[in-house]
Amino acid sequence: MEALAAQRANRIFRGILNNIVWIILVLCVIAFSSTIDGFFSIRNYINIIYHSVFIGLLAIAESYCLISGNLDLSVESMAGFGAIFSAWLCGTSPFASGLSLNPFIGLFIVMSIGALVGLFNGFFIIRFKIHSFLVTLSTYIIVRGIAVLLTGGKGVSQLPSSFRFVDSFRFLNMPLMVYVMIIFYLFFYFVLENNRFGKHIFIIGGNINAAYNFGINVNKVLFRVFVLSGIISGITGWLMTARANGATPAIASGFLFEVLAAVVIGGVSLAGGAGSLVGVFAGVLLLSSIHSALNILAISPFITDIVRGGLVLVAVILDSVKRLFR
Amino acid sequence: MLMEKIMNDKNTKPVILKVEGITKYFGSVRALSDVSFEVYEDEVVGLVGDNGAGKSTLIKIISGNFPPDKGNIYLEGQRINFKTPVEARRIGIETVYQDLSLCENLDASSNLFIGRELHKNVLGFRVLQKREMEKRTVEVLGKIGINIPSVKEKVEYLSGGQRQAVALGRFVAWGEKLILLDEPTAALGVRETRKALDLVLTIRKEKSISMIFISHNLQHVFEVADRIIVLRHGEVVGIRERKLTNPDEIVALITGAIFVT
Repeated sequence: MEALAAQRANRIFRGILNNIVWIILVLCVIAFSSTIDGFFSIRNYINIIYHSVFIGLLAIAESYCLISGNLDLSVESMAGFGAIFSAWLCGTSPFASGLSLNPFIGLFIVMSIGALVGLFNGFFIIRFKIHSFLVTLSTYIIVRGIAVLLTGGKGVSQLPSSFRFVDSFRFLNMPLMVYVMIIFYLFFYFVLENNRFGKHIFIIGGNINAAYNFGINVNKVLFRVFVLSGIISGITGWLMTARANGATPAIASGFLFEVLAAVVIGGVSLAGGAGSLVGVFAGVLLLSSIHSALNILAISPFITDIVRGGLVLVAVILDSVKRLFR
Repeated sequence: MLMEKIMNDKNTKPVILKVEGITKYFGSVRALSDVSFEVYEDEVVGLVGDNGAGKSTLIKIISGNFPPDKGNIYLEGQRINFKTPVEARRIGIETVYQDLSLCENLDASSNLFIGRELHKNVLGFRVLQKREMEKRTVEVLGKIGINIPSVKEKVEYLSGGQRQAVALGRFVAWGEKLILLDEPTAALGVRETRKALDLVLTIRKEKSISMIFISHNLQHVFEVADRIIVLRHGEVVGIRERKLTNPDEIVALITGAIFVT
């Protein structure tokens, strides 16, 4: 009985540690709001959320991959490709395709290409049993290469206003794409926590042999995870084009590490099988808040990376502290 | 072999599992050769043998992990030919794996229901029925007298014995005809092993079911098994009633000090 009581006590500690990213986020926002002039305003808070949309969406895709015990490095390139390709399809400036497609047809095409990239990743990871790091590292490079090739390294701009609607339309002062992100989080949280597909992702990430032993169609689940990741990345790229009213082939460069940082800070384990989108959302907001604070203080942007790296380290240390409370 | 057949004839219980002339090669290595035996209703059979004697191979064939090269398996008189462990499980052959096959990152109730999650379809989504699964988990664990802090607790944070209970809880919940226990005590400490053996004995009382219990540890086998089958170099070298044999004889059979042909 005493052992059971001790187990219960440890459970409470772990509960706190599991949600620590939210505690850190709240503390940071309070600290920044009270010490930095101009941080404490609804406008700035909206800005923080607005600036976390792209990293936030890619973090959903990356979380699914990591929880399944895999890695998808290609999210960044796929988002970049999605951006330049949808700009190329729908834009009107020089170096565009001249097709001037409807934005939603553009979105559909970009999502389909994302799905194909996911299938490609999945094919080599699942059928050839190559580590996901290596496969997605190649697609990371290849897809970016195709993006550069498409316009010969040139940018495309001048999108129709119907394309920009997702950014320009505001409700309660927030652009539509913020709501898109929030809906994505709610939906994918529900799928991960309350759906059989989500449960199977956790099982595969936790013990892939058990998944095989108990008859889970592991390959099918993993294919779905990679395809999903590709599709979300494509959508993210499309949204980036909508915000910037155009794209360059280098768009979204450097996003990968920010996404990985947000996901790890949010409590997703690189070893697979652990994490929650609730934490990831906080991780994304935390990075965006810190970015905003350093921005307002006009501190060199290079410091941001040091802070970001430090946070990742803290997250990893906290994760191992959790294991002490068995 | 004939002598054993005569001995078995004394047993009048119906046959649940009949294994007939199973032979299995891995490349040029013969892992099993002409293995035949029967398991009766409501009986625990101990399967013993040295490392590499073919115990695990045999269990994997019965549980549908891979097919034999020769020979047949019958469950309740019906010839079975499983292609996957799922098929075996579906008709009531449940396997408890050596590594327990637990997902440590998930709670007890998720582990009990791996691959069998209760769900309902809502607009095309397979929504888990978590409450129902948790309720059933409490029932199952209660039946075998196991205390865990909560069925929502991750297995990672349970003690070795509690984890074992979760793994064994699966076959209390799902095993219908035959349970295959592949070295269930191999990874456990002394106290936990005791608990696991007690669990096996409890389940026997609670449920009318047959089991094949594989172990290195003869003491454990003698404690739970009604009959003992000895494998040596992939062949059955002896089948003994527990009451009519002793550990010395079994050791002699395992090591080849006694030749039975």
